[in-house]
Amino acid sequence: MSIVKLNNNGVKNATTFGSITGLGNLKFISRSTASSSSNLSITSGIDSTYKEYIFFFNNIHASTQAHFQVNFSADGGSNYNVTKTTTFFFASHNEAGDSTSLSYQDSHDITGTGAHSLGLSFSSDSDAGGAGYMHLFDPSNTTFVKHFIAVTGGFTDSDYYNTNYTAGYANTTSAVNAVQFSMASGNIDSGTIDLYGVN
Amino acid sequence: MPRFKMVNGERIQFTAAEETARDAEEQAWADGAVARAQADLRAKRNRLLAETDFYALSDVTMSSDMTTYRQNLRDLPAGKDTVAKCTDATWPTKP
Repeated sequence: MSIVKLNNNGVKNATTFGSITGLGNLKFISRSTASSSSNLSITSGIDSTYKEYIFFFNNIHASTQAHFQVNFSADGGSNYNVTKTTTFFFASHNEAGDSTSLSYQDSHDITGTGAHSLGLSFSSDSDAGGAGYMHLFDPSNTTFVKHFIAVTGGFTDSDYYNTNYTAGYANTTSAVNAVQFSMASGNIDSGTIDLYGVN
Repeated sequence: MPRFKMVNGERIQFTAAEETARDAEEQAWADGAVARAQADLRAKRNRLLAETDFYALSDVTMSSDMTTYRQNLRDLPAGKDTVAKCTDATWPTKP
C-alpha cells in the first residue's frame, strides 16, 4: 500500500474527507463571569456525561491580595465540604529578577474539608490577575475518589510571579457535582471560569 | 455591605448564614496574616541558608564572615511578630 502524504495544498484542495472517529475534543459547558463575587459556584453540568472536566481560569482579579481556592460539593452545592488530601509546590521569581525559589508548600497541602489553595497571593493591583486550569477526573464515579490537578500562575503585590502546581483527591465515593471557587479573603472582582467536558 | 455569589452565572445575594460563615473565614484569614508573613520570611531565610550550605562541608573552610552571615540568617525570624516586622526585615548581606 502506497503512502499518501497530506500537505497544506492537499488540505486546501480537498473537497471531501473520509470520516474520522475516535478523536477526543473539548465540549464547552459553561462560562462563569465574576462581578465582585464572593465566590463562583458551578452546580450544573458536572455529571457523568464526561470522564474528565477542565476549568479554565482567565484574568482572575482579586479585590484584595489573597489565595485563589477551590472546594467541592457532593450535594449539588448545598455544602462545599468534601474532605481532600492535596499536595502543593510552586516556583517563584520576582520582577526585579534577583530572587527565585522552588518550594514545597506544606502549609497548603491540606487533609480536611476547607477550601484548597490553587494559587498563592493573587494580587489586587489593577494590572494583576491570575490564570490557569484545573482538571477534575470522573467526578460522578461512585467507586473511586475524585482526582484533580491544577496549575495556576499569578503575581503578588510585591511583584513575585508564582507558578502554582497542586493536585489531590476529593476523598469521597459519592459523586462530586458542584465546584466552588473563591478568594481566601475578599471577592473575585472580575474574571471568567470556563468549564469544558473532555469527550 | 452585602456579599454576592455567582451560581451558574446568576448573581445571588448571600444569606445571613452565608454572611456569618464568610465573616468567620475573613477573620481567620486576617488572624493568619502574621503566620503567613513569618512563613514567607522563613522560606526566604531557608533558601538563602541552603545556597551556602556547602560551606559547611568538612572539606571546605568557612570564613568568619560566612559564619556570621549564616548565623544572622538563622537569627532573623526572632522577634518578627508583626507583618510589618517581617516584610521590612533587614537581610544580612552575603559576603
